Amino acid sequence: MKLLKRPFLLTAAAAITGAVAWGTVDLTLTAQNVSETATPIKHVVVIFGENVSFDHYFGAYPKALNPIGQPRFMAKQATPAVNGLTEELLKNNPNFTNPVNAAGATNPFRLDRTQAFTADQSHGYQAEQQAFNNGAMDMFPRYTGNTGAVPGPGPFHTKGLVMGYYDGNTVTALWNYAQNFALSDNSFGTTFGPSTPGAINLISGQTNGGVRSGGEGEVRPSTALDDGFGGLTIIGDPDPSDDACSTTRSPNFMLTGRNIGDLLNEKKVSWGWFQGGFDLTVTNPNGTTGCARTSYSPIVGSYVKDYMPHHEPFQYYRSTANPKHVRPKSVVSIGTSDDAGANHQYDINDFYAAVSSGNFPAVSFLKALGIQDGHPGLSDPLDEQTFITTVLNFLQKSPEWKSTAVILAYDDSDGWYDHAARIVNSSYAALDLLSGSATCDAPAALPGVAGKPVNGRCGHGPRLPLLVVSPYAKPNFVDHTPTDQTSIIRFIEDNWLGGQRIGNGSFDERAGVINNMFDFSGPTNSVLLLDTNTGLPLK
Amino acid sequence: MKLRRLSALAAAIGALVLFAVGNATRHDEPEEKNNPELSAVAELGRQIFFDKSLSASGEQSCATCHSPSHAYGPPNGASVQPGGPAMKGQGGRAVPSLRYLEHNPPFSIGPSGFIPDNDEPGTSPSPPKDGTKPASFAKNSTPAGAEANVPQGGLDWDGRVDTFQDQAKGPFLDPNEMANSSPEALLGKLQKTAYADGFRKLFGAAVFDQPELAFSEALFALSRFQVEDPSFHPYDSKYDEYLAGKASLTEREMRGLKLFEDPKRGNCAACHIHKASRDGVFQPAFTDYQFVSLGVPRNPEILANSDPRYYDLGLCGPLRKDYARVGSYCGLFKTPTLRNVATRSVFFHNGSFKSLEEVLRFYVQRETQPEKWYPKRADGSVEKYDDLPAAYRGNVDVIDAPFDRKRGDLPSLNDSEIADVIEFLKTLNDGFRGHKP
Repeated sequence: MKLLKRPFLLTAAAAITGAVAWGTVDLTLTAQNVSETATPIKHVVVIFGENVSFDHYFGAYPKALNPIGQPRFMAKQATPAVNGLTEELLKNNPNFTNPVNAAGATNPFRLDRTQAFTADQSHGYQAEQQAFNNGAMDMFPRYTGNTGAVPGPGPFHTKGLVMGYYDGNTVTALWNYAQNFALSDNSFGTTFGPSTPGAINLISGQTNGGVRSGGEGEVRPSTALDDGFGGLTIIGDPDPSDDACSTTRSPNFMLTGRNIGDLLNEKKVSWGWFQGGFDLTVTNPNGTTGCARTSYSPIVGSYVKDYMPHHEPFQYYRSTANPKHVRPKSVVSIGTSDDAGANHQYDINDFYAAVSSGNFPAVSFLKALGIQDGHPGLSDPLDEQTFITTVLNFLQKSPEWKSTAVILAYDDSDGWYDHAARIVNSSYAALDLLSGSATCDAPAALPGVAGKPVNGRCGHGPRLPLLVVSPYAKPNFVDHTPTDQTSIIRFIEDNWLGGQRIGNGSFDERAGVINNMFDFSGPTNSVLLLDTNTGLPLK
Repeated sequence: MKLRRLSALAAAIGALVLFAVGNATRHDEPEEKNNPELSAVAELGRQIFFDKSLSASGEQSCATCHSPSHAYGPPNGASVQPGGPAMKGQGGRAVPSLRYLEHNPPFSIGPSGFIPDNDEPGTSPSPPKDGTKPASFAKNSTPAGAEANVPQGGLDWDGRVDTFQDQAKGPFLDPNEMANSSPEALLGKLQKTAYADGFRKLFGAAVFDQPELAFSEALFALSRFQVEDPSFHPYDSKYDEYLAGKASLTEREMRGLKLFEDPKRGNCAACHIHKASRDGVFQPAFTDYQFVSLGVPRNPEILANSDPRYYDLGLCGPLRKDYARVGSYCGLFKTPTLRNVATRSVFFHNGSFKSLEEVLRFYVQRETQPEKWYPKRADGSVEKYDDLPAAYRGNVDVIDAPFDRKRGDLPSLNDSEIADVIEFLKTLNDGFRGHKP
C-alpha cells in the first residue's frame, strides 16, 4: 500500500525498479494467468504516447548521425529496411518544392538530441487533411507547421520545423527496442485529429456519439461536428464531462457508445487505465496537489500539468468513468470491478504497485505524467524515453514478463511530417478538405452509433510508430501489415474475448491484425534493459 | 552539486557536469577554451559567441558586450555600448547580463490562458483598461489587482522575445550592434569560418542552401551554448553556499539581508526573490521576472535622448511594438536578477547610475528628496520621472516600500544601512572561494 501514496517521480521510479519485492504470491494461480487466451500472452500493456509521426521518429531508421558525445546507435547487420525517408524525400521533398509552403518550404532535416524540446505542431482534424493534400503529402509546413515561438522553444524559425525528424541519438531507446523486437512501419492513426479522437479510437474505434454535457460556450465544429444525422462526432479535444479536473471554460463531452472496457468487464477480464497524475491525494515536491499537480523537467524547463483529462478516454463513457478519481480500496482490487468505485481508472503508481504485488492485470493502458508523455511543447522525446524505459525495465524484471506483450503506440502525429497515407473511411463535413471541398473520399463509410454512415471520421490519419516488445515479438523485425490504432483492441478481443467485436460501426471489425509482429511458436529469452537517460543498453 | 546536475540535465546530454570549468581566468576573453562537456551543437555555439568576424565591423562578438569576465554583462561603465559597421553607433539600452536566464518564463500578462494540447484556443491576455495604473500591480495591493494583469517574462529589458534564439537575432541584425544587414549577410560570414564544416556535418551538407534553416540552427547553437555551459549558471556565490549551510554570512551581510527582506525597509525581496522554490528545482533567481516602472532619471549619455521627444518606454516601445498603444504599460521594464549585480558598473535599462550606492540611494530617496534625482523646472519645481512623458508618470510604482514615502519623510534606509545591503548584495557574486566559473 505504501507505493500507492507515493508520487511517481524519476527518483521514485529508480527506487521501484531498483528493488522490487515480488512477494510470495503464487503467480501461476492468479486469475489473469489462468484465464483462457488465444495466445501465450496473458498480459498486454499499451503504453500510449503522445504526438509523433512515424517519419518523425523512424524515418531515418536505422541510420543515426552519431555526433561526438551523444548516445551512439549502430544498427545490427541484418536490420530490415523501413518505409522511411528516401534520398529523394530527403533532398527533393515535395514540401520543399511546393511553393505554397512559402518560407516554410523545407526538406526533412535532422533534429539534434539537443533539440529534443520543440514547439508543438498543428494537429487539427482539418489541418492534417489539408497537409495531406489528397495524398500528395506536400503541404505540411503550410497547414500543420508551427514555428519555434511560444509555447515552447524550437530550433527552427519557420513552419518548416514540421519537417524535422529525430534519429537514434535522440530516440535511442525506441530504436534499440526496434532492433530487438518488432516495429511496424505501416500503422496509422484511425482517423485524423488530435489526442482525444486518438485515445477514443484506441479503446472503442468509434468517435461518433458525442454528447455535450457541461462546460461553457458554444460547441464549435472543430471540437465536435454534426455527423449528418443530428448527432455529434468528436474531432477535437473537449474534456470529459464531470471529471473533477476538466476545464469549465469550454464544452465538455461524453460518448454514448461502448468501449473495450465494457467488453472486458462482461467477461471478467481484469484491466485498468493507469495515468500519471490521476491520484488527486498526492502532493508533489513542489507543493502542488489534486488536479493542479505539476512536475518539472529541466529539458522542458518548466512545470507541466501531471494529469490531462482529455487524454483519458474511459472518462468519456458513463460505464467506465471515475469522474471523482476515487482510489481503489486495495492493491489486490486493482483491475477488478470490485475496486470500490475506482472503476478501472487509476494512477500510474497503482500500476507499479499492482504488478509488484503480483496483481498484474490482463490488459493495462499506461499514460505518462504530462511532462513525460512526449507531447511537443509540454514534453519531449528524452523525458518520454525515461518513462518508457522505466516501465519496460520494470516489467522485464517481473516473473510475468514471459507472458507479457508491451505495445508502444501513439495517439496522434502532432502534425509532424510523414510521407505515407492510407485513407479507408470517408466523410463529407465542411471541415473535410482532404480531397476537395467538404470531401474526404474513401472506399467505405462506417456507420456511427445510430447505424448510419456519419461524418467526422475521415481516416486513416497520419502514420504513427507502433512497436511490440515481448518475449514473443519477432526480433529485429519490421512488419508491413496495414494496421491502425484499433488493431490493438482487435488483438485484445481476439486474445481474451473469442473475437467478439465492439461493433456498431467501430473500426475494430476492419482493423488489420498485429499478429505478424509476434512469433507464438515459442518465447525468446530476449531481455533488453536500457539506461533511462541515454536509452543505451545497460551492461 | 545538485544544481550542476540540473543544468547538466538541461543540457540534455546525459553526462553530468561535475565540475565548473576551473581554469577560466579573469582577463577579458579567457574562454576560447573548449569545455569538453559541451554537445557538438553547443560547441558550435561557443565558437559563434566569441567570433568577431560575424559582425559588420569585424570588431565585435557577442562576448564583447556580454563579457564572460563580467558575468556576461557589460565590460565597462559606459551607459550603453558602441557598435555598428564602423563602431560609431550606440546601443539603445544598457547591456543585460546573460547569466541566470535559464528559467526565464515566456512573456505573458496575467494568468496564462494557454490550455495544453488542446485545440480550444486559450484566452489571450487583455491589456488593462485605460486608466488602470500599473502601480496597482504593486506587491502590497490586493491580490486580485496584483495577479490580474501583471506583465512578466520574456527576454530583453522589454520582454519582447521569448527564446534565446530570438534574443540572439537582435544583436546580429541591429544596425547599432553587430549590424548584419540580413540573415543572409550573417550566413555569408558564417560560411567562411573555420567551424562552417561543423555546421554541415551536424545540420546537413546542404544546410547553407536553406538560409532559414541555417540561420535558425546558428541561433539555436548559440542558445545551446548558453543552456549547457555552466558558466552561464554557476550558482556558486557565497549566498548559495550560505543557503546550502556551507558558509555563514558576516554580521554586516546578515544585517543587509534582513533589510533586503524587510517589507517596510528595503523591501527588495518583494521583486528580487531570494528563496528557492519549495522543491528546490529553482534556486533563488533574485527576480520575479515581472515588469515595473521605477521612474529612473533620463540619461543624457544616450545619444537618442538628445531629442527631447524621444522616450524609451520599455514595454510600450519603441523597440517593442505590440503594446505601443497601451498607456498603462508605458515606462515598464523587466526586473533583472541581482546575482552578480555588485560586479556591474552600470545599472537600470538606461544606465543612469554607475554605482550600487547611487542605485540604493535613488530607491530610498526618490520620493523623499526628489530634487536630488530629477532636474528643476524654471519655476523651481522638480520634474519627477523626467524620462517619461507626463501622461505615463502615473505608472511609476509609489505603493511598495521604499517608494511609499512622501517628500520630506525619512528615507527607509540610511547610509549605513545602504552599505549593509550592498555588503549583502556582494554575496551574490559568483565565484566564491575562488572557483571562477
